[in-house]
Amino acid sequence: MKINFVLNHKPIELDVNPTRRLLDVLREDLHLTGTKEGCGEGECGACTVLVDDKPYNSCLTPVLNVQDKEVLTIEGFREMKEYRIIADAFADMGGSQCGFCTPGMILVSYALLKNNPHPTDEEIRFALSGNICRCTGYQAIVNAVKVASEKGVKL
Amino acid sequence: MIKYFVPKSLKEATEILSQNDCYILAGGTDLMVQKHRSASLLPTFEKDVLFTNEIKELDYIKVDKEGVHVGSVTKYEKMLKSAQIPDIFRKTIEQIASPGIRNMATMAGNIGNASPAGDTLVPLNVFDAYLVLSSTRGERKVLVSDYIIGVRKTIREKDEIIKEIVIPNLDLEFDYEKVGSRKAESISKVSFLGAYKLEGNIIKDFRVAFGSVSIKVVRDKEVEKKYIGLTKEEFINRKEEIVSDYSKLISPITDHRSTKEYRQKVACNLLSRFIDNIK
Repeated sequence: MKINFVLNHKPIELDVNPTRRLLDVLREDLHLTGTKEGCGEGECGACTVLVDDKPYNSCLTPVLNVQDKEVLTIEGFREMKEYRIIADAFADMGGSQCGFCTPGMILVSYALLKNNPHPTDEEIRFALSGNICRCTGYQAIVNAVKVASEKGVKL
Repeated sequence: MIKYFVPKSLKEATEILSQNDCYILAGGTDLMVQKHRSASLLPTFEKDVLFTNEIKELDYIKVDKEGVHVGSVTKYEKMLKSAQIPDIFRKTIEQIASPGIRNMATMAGNIGNASPAGDTLVPLNVFDAYLVLSSTRGERKVLVSDYIIGVRKTIREKDEIIKEIVIPNLDLEFDYEKVGSRKAESISKVSFLGAYKLEGNIIKDFRVAFGSVSIKVVRDKEVEKKYIGLTKEEFINRKEEIVSDYSKLISPITDHRSTKEYRQKVACNLLSRFIDNIK
């Protein structure tokens, strides 16, 4: 089936089975391996991408469900000016160790700051609640989001 | 050969369903887990699939004298942000899964999935919410509590699709509790919703429902009737009897999430606390 959407700011048309997971389309078909597969059942958030600026678990998304929508992966976000501020904040605050959760964490942080430039600790934790990190204990990530917020990711 | 359908209207969807036996796929947050095999392989749908994603006319929240109408394609995140949705539903939805999943998932999908642990099924039961099922033969209304008859079993006919969920108006005091292993992404070990209305000193309404402690949500209107009309003091004095009544109605199991003993005890304790807190 022909499916059209905008991927990382560029329109794309794919001829693909509509039930194929968006995660597999990104990683296997398009070789965008920045999006990670953790649990494969919506528990860990490593596969998070933004769809129309909202976090989606790409492991549970049949690719048909992004028809006519805008999909942003970490590769696309890397080209945007906001990426540098958030990525530097993660690096400075120790918000990334093994790095497996980091693409998802960064995209979720961006989605949060875009809607709410000055979130409280509680709002940050609520926004990140679908993303598991096994290294940092989360405080370093929360600190990173606060630093990014203070640096004014004018999102 | 499996066929895939992407109708753009309810009418088109019902026409497809009148000719084909389909899985109805909304956000995918239940079905894509159940049909998943392993990384890079296609999910195994063993019959045709109808996607609801493009039926934009069913993405709505409307209020009229019957109550709140939620179109079946409406995402949880939209419900969570809508002031038209009763607060107790929003409190329940806020504790379902994670923001990412709530951006994708629908309440109609959770109803269709008929899991014993579906969190919104608990308030839907307490509110006597009903579904409007649509087919080329017409429409029918069914209580959510009658629609689900067992684990992943519903009375949906093959040619029907959930058009909307209607949540009637209900002005009660509520006490909701979800017991899980973490704050987010948790599938309930036990969930509980108690509701009551006091007029003067009289219990005018009393409703209780439990999730995850039986093959479907447990609610018993006969038991509720026994206690409606009592004074507050009489009601509270009969706490042990009330807890005992419900203790007999629930039949939890032991699985990887919890044990039947824990679930039984916690369910009774939640009911007990609810009664203690009636003011």
